[in-house]
Amino acid sequence: MKKAAAATPASVIDLRFGQVGLLQVRLREVDAPAIKAELAARIASAPQFFQHTGVCLDLSALEHPPEVATLRGVIEAIRLAGMITVGVSDASPTANQLAPALDLPVLAGFRQLSRPPAQLVRAAKPAAQPAPEAAQEPEPEIAAPPPTSGLVHTQPVRSGQRVYARERDLIVTAAVGAGAEVMADGCVHVYGTLRGRAMAGVRGDTNARLFCQEFRAELVAIAGVFRVFETLPEELAGHPVQAWLEGEALRFSRFGV
Amino acid sequence: MTEIIVVTSGKGGVGKTTTSASLACGLARTGKKVAVIDFDIGLRNLDLIMGCERRVVYDFVNVINGDCTLKQALIKDKRIDTLFLLAASQTRDKDALTAEGVRKVLDELIADGFDFILCDSPAGIEKGAHLAMYYADRAVVVVNPEVSSVRDSDRILGLLASKTERAEKGGEKVREHLLLTRYSPTRVAAGEMLSIADVKDILGLDVIGVIPESPQVLSASNAGTPVILMDESDAAAAYGDAVARLLGDESLPMRFIDEPKKGFFARVFGG
Repeated sequence: MKKAAAATPASVIDLRFGQVGLLQVRLREVDAPAIKAELAARIASAPQFFQHTGVCLDLSALEHPPEVATLRGVIEAIRLAGMITVGVSDASPTANQLAPALDLPVLAGFRQLSRPPAQLVRAAKPAAQPAPEAAQEPEPEIAAPPPTSGLVHTQPVRSGQRVYARERDLIVTAAVGAGAEVMADGCVHVYGTLRGRAMAGVRGDTNARLFCQEFRAELVAIAGVFRVFETLPEELAGHPVQAWLEGEALRFSRFGV
Repeated sequence: MTEIIVVTSGKGGVGKTTTSASLACGLARTGKKVAVIDFDIGLRNLDLIMGCERRVVYDFVNVINGDCTLKQALIKDKRIDTLFLLAASQTRDKDALTAEGVRKVLDELIADGFDFILCDSPAGIEKGAHLAMYYADRAVVVVNPEVSSVRDSDRILGLLASKTERAEKGGEKVREHLLLTRYSPTRVAAGEMLSIADVKDILGLDVIGVIPESPQVLSASNAGTPVILMDESDAAAAYGDAVARLLGDESLPMRFIDEPKKGFFARVFGG
């Protein structure tokens, strides 16, 4: 059977999934000037951090669905404060309707930091508060500084189980079974036999690495670049191995050689 | 103190029911009062393996629903008088089981002075298997020295460590034991079968017993006699050892794990 002539040109793009953390601006009211003022005040504390940052609009705390024109005003206010709106973050019917009109994607599935209910109650009683402080509380949700020591997991990770270390390294001091998944935003260390899947730098940290004592992994991924091990290369199988990203390529090396 | 032991595996057909019946007999033989419960609603086998299938009037689901008392449903074994069977329902399915219902029955058995309650789990990880392990104090995980059985047992071990009452309450964990069944030392020596060491390495647990592959197991099922009661059988002796280890004698050496040495005549004349 004659193969088709190799006429396909080399592609000019690569499509890949990545994961990234994104600031959210949860609107309580849609008063553009007040939003701009509030944002300016918050940014003043750390201007470099916020300059040109992408943010996502969260409309879930608004009492009534806003007009498209009003939201355009809000987006402009955010832009004047130095930030760029890149999406709408809740997948409510409101958001689904408004997002296309604003030419923004709906980025659903955010994990929220929970806010104490007291603040929401305050927003509902604007008359009782002095005007500037009132219900306008767009809330950039900045995560509290994460613990810096890694997440230590001492039990074997059994088939079907998944362990995820958010914003830090994962250290497993037992075996990781076939069909199990160990993941971290930072590095993944397995001081035992790794038979399952290991994913480091899950949210895009290309410097993350994987270290393991006995390498028998099914799949290794770093910052979204992955390799499946249908067969284990002889020089790595059963040995202490580390994996890292060099540009776009995954590299593996054996310790002690 | 009553001890609730679940016999589970994940994989089907590895010997859970065979093991439940033999362990129950072995424990009851030492004088302990033992109840064995079939959790495989809709696909009951324990009554067949124990030779009680024609004596089932009321079953586990009847007791949970209050259609009868526990005493009416418990079937006393004809061979060992401290052994009782609670059969599964054949006409219903696993949705008839509830966590509260199971707890109620277990509490009644405990109040009745039973020393051991064995829960014969169905295969899989769905409701029946989940409820069979949920209230367990100890687990005997039955594994064949075969890759899919080992993988499924790994999953089950994960569930025992996370989806049981003990795991959820955060106190003392469920004590896990592996029981290797259908072991063939000849095939292991030939490199065709996973060895005990291989299984220990993958699952990270010691075995409480190794039951050799034995034609007696089929004969036992057919006769409705738990294999531990068939005295000339290697499997029976191995189950006996497993019971002893369950009761605390952990130093008992493993038998039937080495290739049988062929005698001169066997080598010359074959067989």
